[in-house]
Amino acid sequence: MNDASSNAARLADALLQQVALDLAFAQPGSTRVTDSLGDLVDQIAAACDGAPEPIGTAVAACRHWLAACAAADGCLTQQAIASLSEWQPWMATAVLAWGRGQPIAPPPPEWSVAPPAVRAEAEPTQQVSVLPDGVDDDMLQLFCAESQDLLQEVEQAVLVLERNPADKAMIDTVFRVFHTFKGNAGVIKLAVLQRLTHELESLLDAARRGKAQLGRDAIDVILEGADVLRRYVGEMLGQISGVEKGRTIPLPIPALIARVDRLLHGGPAVPAAAAVSVAPPAPAVPVAVPSPILQAAAEPMAAPVISSPTPPAAAQSPAEPVAAPAAAVASGMVRVDTHKLDGLIDLVGELVVAQSMVVQSPELKGIGNSQLARCLGQLRGITSDLQRTAMSLRMVPIGGTFRKMARLVRDLSGELGKEIDLKLEGEDTELDRNLVEELSDPLVHMIRNSVDHGIEMPDVRAAAGKPRTGTITLRAFHQGGFIVIQIGDDGRGLSGDRILAKAVERGLVKPHDRLEPADIRGLIFLPGFSTAEKVTGLSGRGVGMDVVRRNIEKIRGKVGVDSIEGSGSTFTMYVPLTLAIIEGLIVGVGQERYIIPTLSVRESFRPLPGAVTTVQGRGEVVRVRGKLTPLLRLGRFLGTPAKTDDPTQGIVVVVESGQDCRCLLVDDLIGKQEVVIKSLGEMFGRQNAFAGAAILGDGRVGLILDVNSLVKMKSATGDAA
Amino acid sequence: MQPSAQQHSASISAQPGKYLVVTLGHESYGIPVLKVREIIRLCPITPVANMPPHVRGVINLRGKIIPLVDLRARFGLPAGEDHDRNCIVVAQLAGLGGVTRLYGVIVDGVEEVANFAASDIEPTPDFGGVIDVRFITGMAKSGPLVRTLIDLDRIAAADLATTAVESNPASPAAS
Repeated sequence: MNDASSNAARLADALLQQVALDLAFAQPGSTRVTDSLGDLVDQIAAACDGAPEPIGTAVAACRHWLAACAAADGCLTQQAIASLSEWQPWMATAVLAWGRGQPIAPPPPEWSVAPPAVRAEAEPTQQVSVLPDGVDDDMLQLFCAESQDLLQEVEQAVLVLERNPADKAMIDTVFRVFHTFKGNAGVIKLAVLQRLTHELESLLDAARRGKAQLGRDAIDVILEGADVLRRYVGEMLGQISGVEKGRTIPLPIPALIARVDRLLHGGPAVPAAAAVSVAPPAPAVPVAVPSPILQAAAEPMAAPVISSPTPPAAAQSPAEPVAAPAAAVASGMVRVDTHKLDGLIDLVGELVVAQSMVVQSPELKGIGNSQLARCLGQLRGITSDLQRTAMSLRMVPIGGTFRKMARLVRDLSGELGKEIDLKLEGEDTELDRNLVEELSDPLVHMIRNSVDHGIEMPDVRAAAGKPRTGTITLRAFHQGGFIVIQIGDDGRGLSGDRILAKAVERGLVKPHDRLEPADIRGLIFLPGFSTAEKVTGLSGRGVGMDVVRRNIEKIRGKVGVDSIEGSGSTFTMYVPLTLAIIEGLIVGVGQERYIIPTLSVRESFRPLPGAVTTVQGRGEVVRVRGKLTPLLRLGRFLGTPAKTDDPTQGIVVVVESGQDCRCLLVDDLIGKQEVVIKSLGEMFGRQNAFAGAAILGDGRVGLILDVNSLVKMKSATGDAA
Repeated sequence: MQPSAQQHSASISAQPGKYLVVTLGHESYGIPVLKVREIIRLCPITPVANMPPHVRGVINLRGKIIPLVDLRARFGLPAGEDHDRNCIVVAQLAGLGGVTRLYGVIVDGVEEVANFAASDIEPTPDFGGVIDVRFITGMAKSGPLVRTLIDLDRIAAADLATTAVESNPASPAAS
């Protein structure tokens, strides 16, 4: 025959020799051999690409047997070994005949029926045990940490790949990640994971070699495969720390493997998530043709697609909003235990305080030696630099959190049939790593709201003269001591009338109340509020915004909303750069000093005579810019005798929490400074007047007021007694 | 070898070993030395509103903020004036989730570190319900002196439980 096929036949022959060697040492219950056999058979299949039909059938049958073993527990069964031992010599003969251009005998009939395939597909999920024997926890922790990084990398790369499936660099990246994952899984003997990653790797290998194009189905399988791996790792982490150790979890691994199989070798398309007990495909799948499924999927699909400005096969789309994650190479980074890091930062905090006490000590100040003064100044400078550096160790760019939202937007918009573009700005903006966790949930809530209620369906948008594709913009930047995060969309905006109507209906607002537009918008943050017409699975259950606000207030931030009906809405979150430090207003009450976070302070003033009105002998209100605001005498409330009872001799500090305000009466304003917040400890955990404490410059402790609790206090006591 | 200390399983019994002996008024109490992190002079106390009267507030211990409890008030002894022999004993106790936490107690004075053998320690007598014996782990005799051995962990745990109930910022502080 021709040279190409005789070369291919020779290659296949060499591979078959190796198969024979492997089989000679194969024992039932061995996982190692299953993998190497799997690799060899894949290569044989590749080599036999153009071979006549009987060889194709035989190869397919062999793959099905191996897949069945992998789907079970990765070990070779006695039966598989027997079948393979029959298969190898038959293949050798057939390949020889093919190389010589001679006719090939038909394979034994039972090979065409492929019964193991049925078994593999009858159970789309399998119970998987997560902790391998004989591997210590440290290795498992390491595996989990590396896996999470790898999976994050995969997700980013795949999303980029989806917009441009021909991007070789991205395909290589994803292939490399799965390959590395497979290797790691092999080191700790996780055969099940190895098999799944091997399948995903094959899919990418096919794409890499130009044998297949990655359409929507393939991308879905890859993302779902990554999800399964992520779940596995998550379960492993849980079990390592003792949660339900030893339990097995169901994972749809056989279903995924089956889908990859079909993508690679053709066969009836499997609907994505609903792949439950599918009837076995017709036997004798021809290997020769690159999968028709993948090619068909390369065409732009119907509505649920993240719209890209250019068709997928063409060059890179011009405005690449999601930056290529390939740049995140593990170069020049170290892994540090977070406990050690936190310990270091605590120590630096103590150093700052000790240094401050030395430098401000009156005895030292009295010495008046210039040399000493210079040294102290240098000490202060170095300490402050040290503190800044230590704080920066904990800072991470917000880009990671933003990029996670890309996946969310893709999935959600797909489900709803909307077209949405996600733009990210300011991904390099840094914030304290402890905050990143706390921000994730509120961000997800708000993005869901945007996708669900904000952005309209493409037809509605077109009818309104807007582009069919909606845009959600995530923006972050620093301002003052805060990181500002904005989520904006160009959707339908907030309807003041609907909000008001809903609020009246819920009894949150009286029908004849007059509210400013800003106040009306603020109503959406009240508990139980939602104007959604129907409760979708995503949002609209009315728990969204008030939970968001509470979460953000928990990290001492605040959130507000701006909107133009018909044009869109923007939610803005202010979050302090680090949980550890706040800027506080120091006030004096009697002998004690208290700290009020400046974020919550609206203004302060000395009340004029007559500004305070008494109600029923006990309640007091102050007129602040035309609004009557309740007064709280801090001295009385905290049990600290104040210097004076007369408000006109003291200072009123107006604080706000959400939409509400209070006037706090104190003796003096002492100053404004940044303080390091310390927790008061468990003993004071239940009281809610104080959010924490800080060490002031003279070494004394100043208690930090919990403004949100003070403002939200409903009872009438605590005011003028 | 262990005398009747073992027979009373209701109260935890004191182990032999070194104890820090502190004075409250005319009475002497022993704290297991392993629990004591350090002893410091009285320093400025920041009161925290709406806490039980024996919780004096918090202090700054080299940058750490720790609660301060007045043991005399805790045991219901008549209050005394603070004077310059007062000390704060900083104890290191087991906290929630296995993390150690620091806990300060004000005492009138520190006497000595005494070594009590098992034969010196007797089980807590039955006071017939007159006093709360939860915190007492035994009585130690050395010569003519008798010291009451106490368990700070239990005291601190009881504080946690009571502060949950008593603290209520809606009510104005008493006195």
